[in-house]
Amino acid sequence: MVSSSRVFRAVVLALRWLLGAMFVYAAWTKLRQPWELFAMSIDAYKVLPYWAVLAVARTLPWAELAIGLALMAGRWLRVSAAAASLLLLGFFVLMVRTYVKGMQIDCGCFGLGDPISPRTLLRDGTLLAGCLFLTWTSFCGRRTAA
Amino acid sequence: MKLLTLALAALLPCLAASSDADPGKSLGSPTAPIRIEVFSDFECPACKGLHEQILPLIMRDYVIPGKVFLVSREFPLAMHKYSREAASYATAAARVDKYQPVADTLFKNQAAWEVSGKVWDTVANVLTPVEARKVQLLARDPSVMGEVERDVDAGRAAGINQTPTMIVTSGTRRFPVAGAVNYNLLRSMLDGLLK
Repeated sequence: MVSSSRVFRAVVLALRWLLGAMFVYAAWTKLRQPWELFAMSIDAYKVLPYWAVLAVARTLPWAELAIGLALMAGRWLRVSAAAASLLLLGFFVLMVRTYVKGMQIDCGCFGLGDPISPRTLLRDGTLLAGCLFLTWTSFCGRRTAA
Repeated sequence: MKLLTLALAALLPCLAASSDADPGKSLGSPTAPIRIEVFSDFECPACKGLHEQILPLIMRDYVIPGKVFLVSREFPLAMHKYSREAASYATAAARVDKYQPVADTLFKNQAAWEVSGKVWDTVANVLTPVEARKVQLLARDPSVMGEVERDVDAGRAAGINQTPTMIVTSGTRRFPVAGAVNYNLLRSMLDGLLK
């Protein structure tokens, strides 16, 4: 069976590390600068009220860090993979909406110089697909060694 | 007009502006703890918003009290037909100490000249005949065009690919602030850097 193959397990392990490292990096780019900069990026999407912008800006980077570390460590895999999928799905929907509306703003994903474009949509879509696959494998009991 | 008044109030300290900042395009004290470089394009609507709504607040709250040194940089985007011409006139106007009135009128009348292409007519409206002659000559001067190009190069080197972008420098730390800005958030950030 595919699930027992070493290749399959290696792919899942690589995916976990890749997505985990990506979440940790995304958190690091936000936490190393004043939180207001990330708040401005969120505010630019014009979907949240001011109080929610502040709440998300202060908490999301820490959530990304926790999810990234959990994915890399292989702990609470179902929860962390599902949370990562939900987050990426939310980001992806927002970015598509923004792109369709013709708003020219930074995606806020990894700091400055990342305006929403077909390239960023492809990147986030690919990451989302990877996360959904990881979530599916974790719920199907196809766990890999940490 | 409001920005011009505030700009005049903050003009004196910048006579000793730091070497890499054009004194004619700088406001406030060069020794202020925070430096903000504003990279903008005269044909960009978001830059107009920043210039007319946010910069007067920064002037009032931070530049005039000596907390921020504000430097204007040109970043004309290729997608805008007349923005480089406007940047050249504005930079030339800085050589006769008329950068702020020229920038004010270019943003105020953006909707008109970006359609008609009458950039010079817009600029000339806020200059005396003598200043207008000087600015027209200076705008074709290689040193002025070189200054615009240096601003663009500096912006690219800083990773800027959209306007407006402010580069906020506090000590050795640099933070880019891109796009339309919520002033409450910017104020919170500047206050945090000043602590």
